[in-house]
Amino acid sequence: MKVSYNWLKEYVKFDLSPNALANLLTMLGLEVEGIEHIGEEFDTVVVAIVEERLQHPNADKLSLCKVNNGREILSIVCGAQNFKSGDKVALAQVGTVLPGDFKIKKSKIRGEESCGMLCSEKELGLTEESDGIIVLPDNSKIGTPLFESMGLKDTIFELGLTPNRADCLSVIGVAREIGAKLGLKLEYPTIVVKESDRDINQIASIKIEAPDLCPRYTARYVSGCKIGPSPQWLVNRLNAVGYRSINNVVDITNYVLMEYGHPLHAFDFRMLKGGQIIVKTAAQGEKFVTLDAEERELTTSDLTIRDSLDAVALAGVMGGENSEIKQDTTDILIESAYFNPSAIRKTSKRLGLHTESSHRFERGTDINILTTALDRAAFLVAELAGGEIAKGIIDNYPSPISDKKVDLRVDRVNSLLGTELKAEEIANILKNLGFSLKETEKDSFSVDIPSFRVDIEREVDLIEEVARLHGYNNIPATMPLARVISDITPPAQTLGQELKNHFVGIGFNEVINFSFGSCEEIKKLKLADNDKRVAAIALINPIVDEHSVMRTSLLPGLLQTVSKNVNMRSETLRLFEMRRVYHLNPGETAPSEPLYIAGVMTGTRFSESWNQSKELVDFFDIKGVVESVVNRFKLPSVSYSSENTDPFYHPGKSALLKSDDQIIGTFGEIHPDVQESFGLDKPVQYFELDFGAIMTINNNTAPIKAPSRYPDTFRDIAMLVKKGIAADKILSVINSARIPNLTKAYVFDLYEGDKIPEGEKSIAVRVRYGSSERTLTDEEVNKFHQKVINSLQAQLEMVIR
Amino acid sequence: MKEQLEKMEQEALAELRTVATEGELQELRVKYLGKKGELTSLMKGLGSLSPEERPVMGEILNRVKNGLENEFEAALKHVKEFSKTAKLQNEKIDVTLPGRTVSTGTKHPVTLITEEICDIFAKLGFSVAEGPEIEEDYYNFEALNFPKDHPARDMQDTFFVQNNLLLRTHTSPVQVRTMLKTKPPVRIIAPGTVYRCDYDATHSPMFHQVEGLMVDKNITFGDLKGILTTFTNQMFGNDIGVRLRPSFFPFTEPSAEVDIACVICRGKGCKVCKHSGWLEILGAGMVDPEVFKHVHYDPEEISGFAFGMGIERIAMLKYGINDMRLLFENDIRFLKQF
Repeated sequence: MKVSYNWLKEYVKFDLSPNALANLLTMLGLEVEGIEHIGEEFDTVVVAIVEERLQHPNADKLSLCKVNNGREILSIVCGAQNFKSGDKVALAQVGTVLPGDFKIKKSKIRGEESCGMLCSEKELGLTEESDGIIVLPDNSKIGTPLFESMGLKDTIFELGLTPNRADCLSVIGVAREIGAKLGLKLEYPTIVVKESDRDINQIASIKIEAPDLCPRYTARYVSGCKIGPSPQWLVNRLNAVGYRSINNVVDITNYVLMEYGHPLHAFDFRMLKGGQIIVKTAAQGEKFVTLDAEERELTTSDLTIRDSLDAVALAGVMGGENSEIKQDTTDILIESAYFNPSAIRKTSKRLGLHTESSHRFERGTDINILTTALDRAAFLVAELAGGEIAKGIIDNYPSPISDKKVDLRVDRVNSLLGTELKAEEIANILKNLGFSLKETEKDSFSVDIPSFRVDIEREVDLIEEVARLHGYNNIPATMPLARVISDITPPAQTLGQELKNHFVGIGFNEVINFSFGSCEEIKKLKLADNDKRVAAIALINPIVDEHSVMRTSLLPGLLQTVSKNVNMRSETLRLFEMRRVYHLNPGETAPSEPLYIAGVMTGTRFSESWNQSKELVDFFDIKGVVESVVNRFKLPSVSYSSENTDPFYHPGKSALLKSDDQIIGTFGEIHPDVQESFGLDKPVQYFELDFGAIMTINNNTAPIKAPSRYPDTFRDIAMLVKKGIAADKILSVINSARIPNLTKAYVFDLYEGDKIPEGEKSIAVRVRYGSSERTLTDEEVNKFHQKVINSLQAQLEMVIR
Repeated sequence: MKEQLEKMEQEALAELRTVATEGELQELRVKYLGKKGELTSLMKGLGSLSPEERPVMGEILNRVKNGLENEFEAALKHVKEFSKTAKLQNEKIDVTLPGRTVSTGTKHPVTLITEEICDIFAKLGFSVAEGPEIEEDYYNFEALNFPKDHPARDMQDTFFVQNNLLLRTHTSPVQVRTMLKTKPPVRIIAPGTVYRCDYDATHSPMFHQVEGLMVDKNITFGDLKGILTTFTNQMFGNDIGVRLRPSFFPFTEPSAEVDIACVICRGKGCKVCKHSGWLEILGAGMVDPEVFKHVHYDPEEISGFAFGMGIERIAMLKYGINDMRLLFENDIRFLKQF
């Protein structure tokens, strides 16, 4: 909400600069989010006097003037006709920039020098149209900035009000806060209502058929108004706080809305059939055209203001086109009512129609201000649009809202805030804010809550008021005296952090993708229809289609990230992401949010450099990464198999990782179709590991063995075997020889192709033997190794090379 | 003979000084000390001397021989050293060429800041708690005193999903879930992902928060100030100015926004702080009694404070990032800088 410094000053006589006031408001909880200094940019437009006005020698329609700005006499060429020598005018001096980026420069016009410009209101952006230049009153002081002289200089504060402070949605509301903080009295506007003899009850009637939605409805009647433009002061004031001037009557309702914070509505009385107002809910499907010329379809929960036949306003939200104030309107009915906040909110939300009026009603207005606001409006209408105010107010108040009383304990204030405030200090703060207090017993008060403070209902709300006005900065900062708690950081937290550290350590960059995804990208993964990753949880109100479901896998996000980076020519990537995915498990209503760690590698194995191979990463790079996790986190009884991996992998280059027979994850090369569907032309290696599975199995307590003090001896075996024989199989046969002194066996060479028979491969295994008691002799080692060879020959179709 | 010997010695020493390689040195050794060398032939001439002269001359010869041998030894050492140096000189490489890469990765800035915040609070005795991201209205709003059809709900544009669930709009539901599970004292810090229906340079539909909650007997608003001042000092430096100003959250009363002095202009006023000199970094307050009622705590017996902060906001301030979208574009050229 915008609020004007000058306007505030009308109700509370503070002595603060605009910046000091802004700081005061912010520290009261009415955050000043922006400050606009009106007229500041026109400080070089000053009051000047025309000392001489002569005909321009070379142009019929121009005059050549000598103008005194208080410091010097300038020669100015002017095209306007509405002034004479001796008039005080608005002089834009050289250097001024007028609206439309029009810079005033020293120039020659038809051969005559002109050092500035005499301005019209239009040129200064004050009005839409103007007839000639501004001629100022004689008492204007020469040399003063024009805006200052015209009283237009002002500072506008943009307040970011929190939804609880409905009472501050008005100039008086904000002024009240300033007064309370500074200990100044609020000065209310003058209201003098001169009523005629005609009784309003003879003219109009009000019936409330929905008292729960409209507990009170009041109205005044003014006849014989003359609708026309508002006076300049009113236009300026409304403009300053962001309202466009419409006509005098509508402007007055807006002015009073800003002043008191209570929305009013003026009806063209001749359009109210039967001179009647009926407050009731709409019929289902009823059509109604609001002031903005939109046709709206209503429901039975929308409250309407109706005449004897039709709806004439959408209560608390917007008036109807049918009864709006027109140029020829003369008799008006001014509405000042209280509507149920949540009813207004529902209608406003459903129709997407958020207005100044609905904004206030849905936050709760002051039910006791209705007639004051009404009188103020009627008074201004009579002043500015003429007309005669009928006698009396129709005040229909079927369900009175009772006054609130809240008990307040001084010790409670201090124990919650950590202060040592005295009863008297507390009482003063609350009195300044408009509360009245009665001491019920020592250091206990019964507090009457003024009706404008709809947000105050409990003791703690009053404590906040005390803290606010006392000043948060005046509450001492202390450290709590607290009990030690035995909770420690959960192991999952520590493991998660260690996993991230691990991946960073092996050269992976962490990414964070949105948790959203789309059905289209899931489709690209070739998953079976009954895969739970296909049934993604959909957002009911997504922002964009690409973000319309919750992701079920980290893969699409990572592939998109790869694609975006490759498009930026970052082609060698090692990325990991440790985030949740979202599954709806069959038969369960609550989704599960398992945490996964996934990663991709693509591009060359090494970063491109003069001395490094330019080979692309392959399956064994990603397997190495997975093995590093297995080793680092000591996963026991690990097995890799090419069965049951996911369909988004290359069927021949992917594996399933198990530990203790529990699935930990999968890894491998992404299926070429999937890779291409994400716009990628180089293979991508991917892994995904189930954090929960690692968490349950993580075996950090494996015993540490002392190494042998005697060196190992090793023997190599090179053999020809069928291509289909897995390395794992060969090693398990070697281990099956059950030689206690065999310390390790591993593949150290693999060769296929030239000189190797079709369908076979040459595989070389190094077997190490050792003892913790002594160095083994050659004979012993040879004996062990022969056993190994024997068992290979017995169990495998192979030829030793 | 004596003159001959002295002449030869002089010549040998002179030649020795010009020797540069091991080969030349060997040649010279052969020339003077070899079997057919000059000294050897002089020695052979000893026999023709008189018995009186013989021992005298013999002694001189021996001295010259030993002397030369020592000189040759020294020269050999010198020549070897010289050629080794020359060889090493020859092996000189271009040290400005880059080394063989040892890849190092990076953590995402959101992770870095989250870990930093959690570490600070862990030292103050807070333990980490978590909750679901797909949340029930009850935990996200109702138990936090956001009544249905209340404008307070407009403060957080919500994504809804099927089965009347929503994406949590803040990490505050973790407060409720934790308090329902435990009895006071409670001291938790809850980092997590949250969602709001908003997307521009300063808003992301997904972002991260850290929530804190402390509940015990006699916890005051002053304690909240104390803890948060400690935090901001740790996070932004001991001299950073901090101010609390009144605000509104349905689940705290009194509520506060916490500002730190602008880290860019140090409070003088700049574009980042909109010329106010202050930057809003977290929301906080005393836990509202309504929330305590929902978790069956007695607000007359205990009190507590809660606070929450946006990780991205802090990351942006700390690293001088002006567009939040950069954080989720995952451009490797951006990520590698952390």
